[in-house]
Amino acid sequence: MRLNAPIPGGNYMSDTRNYAWHRPPDTVDYDEAVSYLIDKIDEPEEKELIFAMLGIDAHITTIVTTLLLQAVSKGKLGIDLAILIAGPVARYIEISAKNAGVKYEMGVEDKDRVVITPTLLKASMGIIDEEDEDEQVIPEEPAPEAPSEGLMAMPEAGGVAPEEEQTAMLGGVDEEEPEDEL
Amino acid sequence: MTFDEAVKKSIKVFVKGTMPMKTSELVEDGLLYTPDFFDQMEEELLDEPTDSKMAKEEELEDEA
Repeated sequence: MRLNAPIPGGNYMSDTRNYAWHRPPDTVDYDEAVSYLIDKIDEPEEKELIFAMLGIDAHITTIVTTLLLQAVSKGKLGIDLAILIAGPVARYIEISAKNAGVKYEMGVEDKDRVVITPTLLKASMGIIDEEDEDEQVIPEEPAPEAPSEGLMAMPEAGGVAPEEEQTAMLGGVDEEEPEDEL
Repeated sequence: MTFDEAVKKSIKVFVKGTMPMKTSELVEDGLLYTPDFFDQMEEELLDEPTDSKMAKEEELEDEA
């Protein structure tokens, strides 16, 4: 019988040093890690890339996440330290953008947050004011009768416009096809 | 919580002026890159004219 499952003990045979994040990170100091990323951001090519990303309305949080993931994947930082230094790195990018006059958005604002108003609170609690109730009653108006004559009159049942009229309405003109002069 | 969410939360907390307390305790002299450090850096950088402004001023002086 053949089972579709991992080979028992297979994990003891695999090389755990395959990935950088399987080894201890190069930097474990907070200030050293921030300095490393600030130096990286200050490189001309990296700066151009960051400003270009800000130019296409990418949030600073997105850029910071990308930079940190790169550093983690290279084995420079551990994941915990990467999360800790996200704030200083974001702040540095913000200052650089301000200094260069680049428009930016931090991306930590809660734009989707619903603003709580008295009306919303009342609605959620099921409280309806008497005044509101009076306003909500709308008397039904009788629908006007359809005109029987004139342009707005309903066509007769089964009434189809003649073919010429249909062609004229579609912008077509009955013309004879020109003969081929060749 | 995903990595993105954790990064966003970390940035939000730092911008508000809060620092990781236990990390600060690890260093005797205190951490260098604090919210105050960046506030000061911002003041110093943005008070001075930017490189592009200085270049424009130099050009105007040369023309005169």
